[in-house]
Amino acid sequence: MSGTTIIEVRTSPHLHGPMTVETIMRHVIYALLPIAAFFSWHFGLSAALLLAVTTAGCVLAEHTACRLSGKRSTVNDYSAAITGLLLGLTLPPGLPLWMAVVGCLVAILPGKLLFGGLGSNVFNPALVGRAFLQAAFPVAVTNYTPGLAANRFVEFIPSTWAVPLMKPAPLNDWLAKVAVDGFTGATPLAMQKFDHIYSELGPLLWGLGPGSLPGCLILLCGAYLVARGMMDWRITASMIAGAAATGGIFHLVNPALYPDPVWVVFTGGLLLGATFMATDPVASPVTPRGMWIYGLLMGVLTVLIRNLGGLPEGVMYAILFGNALSPLIDRLTPPRPYGARKAQVPQ
Amino acid sequence: MKETAPNPFINGLWRQNPTFVQILGMCPTLAITNSVQNAIAMGLATAFVLICSNGLIAAIRKHVPKQVRIATYIAIIATAVTVTDYLVKAISISVYKALGPFIPLIVANCLVLERAEGFAAKKPVIPSMMDGAGMGLGFAFGLTCLGTVREVLGAGTFLGIHLFGPNFEPWVLFLLPPGGFISLAIWLLIFASYRERKDRRERARAALLTVQPAEAQS
Amino acid sequence: MTGTTTKSTQMIRFLGFVSLLCGVLIVGAHVASQSRIRVNQEEILRESLAQLLPGMTRQVIYIVTPTGELTPAASGESSDKRIFAGFDAGGKFLGVVLEASERGYADVISAMYAYSPASKTITGFSVLEMKETPGLGNKIGSDPEFLANFKALDTTHPVAAVKHGKKTNPWEIDAISGATISSRAVGRMLAASVQEMAPIIARHRDRIERGN
Repeated sequence: MSGTTIIEVRTSPHLHGPMTVETIMRHVIYALLPIAAFFSWHFGLSAALLLAVTTAGCVLAEHTACRLSGKRSTVNDYSAAITGLLLGLTLPPGLPLWMAVVGCLVAILPGKLLFGGLGSNVFNPALVGRAFLQAAFPVAVTNYTPGLAANRFVEFIPSTWAVPLMKPAPLNDWLAKVAVDGFTGATPLAMQKFDHIYSELGPLLWGLGPGSLPGCLILLCGAYLVARGMMDWRITASMIAGAAATGGIFHLVNPALYPDPVWVVFTGGLLLGATFMATDPVASPVTPRGMWIYGLLMGVLTVLIRNLGGLPEGVMYAILFGNALSPLIDRLTPPRPYGARKAQVPQ
Repeated sequence: MKETAPNPFINGLWRQNPTFVQILGMCPTLAITNSVQNAIAMGLATAFVLICSNGLIAAIRKHVPKQVRIATYIAIIATAVTVTDYLVKAISISVYKALGPFIPLIVANCLVLERAEGFAAKKPVIPSMMDGAGMGLGFAFGLTCLGTVREVLGAGTFLGIHLFGPNFEPWVLFLLPPGGFISLAIWLLIFASYRERKDRRERARAALLTVQPAEAQS
Repeated sequence: MTGTTTKSTQMIRFLGFVSLLCGVLIVGAHVASQSRIRVNQEEILRESLAQLLPGMTRQVIYIVTPTGELTPAASGESSDKRIFAGFDAGGKFLGVVLEASERGYADVISAMYAYSPASKTITGFSVLEMKETPGLGNKIGSDPEFLANFKALDTTHPVAAVKHGKKTNPWEIDAISGATISSRAVGRMLAASVQEMAPIIARHRDRIERGN
């Protein structure tokens, strides 16, 4: 079956930008690679394998599904690989691989292809997969293992190799062996929320704490894409601003219970989400004003879920919610045609 | 395709299946299919209500004044539901507790009123009861399909029997409300693709039949 | 159908007939099933009591009046505060069972627990109704490690749940890892209930242990 057209008939403008979808997506992968490398170095073999499996899983799922429905495979646009990398980065490194594969299937099949593939997905596919895993396996998905374990390049985290459909073996023995003092398996956010223990901010900036990636590295990688003109900085900036402002208000009201804005921004998945997931060009608004509204909304929601909800982290739900609202935001914020004044905007 | 009046029992069980074809009665379908046992119990309770209400309504159908027919049907359906409520309580309190408010809510299941208005009001008693049985069992079949997916994935059991041993990692999602929507979607997809394939086959055969005589003439 | 010319009187007569028919059917079903339903309910109650007080064969039910007095009740059908006293086949007093409820993670958790007035300990716990998350919070009803907390839980000090693995005192409940909110709800529920009921039981201890 060939879906190629020989002559394209279109209305003007006929200008072509030098950037194609493939180019942009390739550069997003370049930007994600340092983060993936850090993730693998920090957590060791299991993390590297997890990223490999999620990336391969998403690419294979998309390829097979396209073939089965008699269409040309769309994996060459790199978007499935990005979905896989992002999904892997949001999961705990010791997650059983079979669960990671389930996440890939959910991300690609219902999350992306069911809506019509790249360009038509309503939600960020990686987050759809992650949300499914979070709801289906709440224990495994929130079970973070310590980073920088001494034998991390020699040995897998035992839970990685859990038999499909079966529970991973308890990690107590392994944890005792890697002997990380006072490790409870809780992320800094969970410790802050449930026990009011603050992790030091320094390690969080450099990503050495458990369960979060280095904020500075993520911002740097995002800056690369912005500098190349491949990503709009407005969404990232407004989401961080929204979260910091809301976090600041909470902190002013009750400093003992709620963390300060800098801590809010650098913990959990906020930076990764704001830089690489909320900016998904398909599922986010296209108008500049819309982007500001969208970003601020997600930032505010993230902090509201963290501080008032039952869960320690809210980035995922905030972005999915923002995705759902983005068509509406686009409608409400039409750009003014060039030269038109407010009163003259045609009906 | 030949147009004979379909057997009312088979019609409800398969061709006009309430869950997969008519997509009626979604509230209990989504709410209490988190185990096979609940699904079967709910399906049978609904089937019992359908048989009773269809039978009663068919028996008095010639005397019902048109203006008050819906009120009459609802009164009869509510009676059948109340009787079922007592029956379930008398058979097993634990099943009654598991089904909770959904037994009384059978009265609001649009399937029951639809069969009263659409079938029992026009047909004699025996076919009406057959229709009620077919629709009710078709509904029970649909619920059981959903319940199977949800119980097997959500708890690793079927009717309480462990399928994968004690180490199974349950997909908690399938016991929660979203699991109901997801498994309903999976089943609707399967049935829709089956129907589409069958339709295509039948169309191809019909096309073949119409072409052949023309060829014979030439 | 009789068409559009039906008179109001006819409609009223017909609806009257339908109501009569329905009423007769409902009352009939009620009468026919009532005794069986009561037997079922009592059996369920006895089963859940026997689970908490092993060896129990007979129970006496008391209703606590607002002034703190006890009145013996005939059946289990009541929304009042109840005390169930359990006795074995030889008539020996085994302990009392009390009901308690508290807001959990998802909805109100209601539960029963066995209490021994002699040792002032909680000797058993079982959940009656809850909507806690399957696989996490709902383990408060089934997790053997968690239920082992209630073999002899001291109530002379206010009961409280502590994080998994941090139990050091006999009045502390070792929470389920990953279900701390539900576990803490159980702790609060028992603490409040014991605080309210223990003085009443202590005051009427002789009577409850005699079973009249």
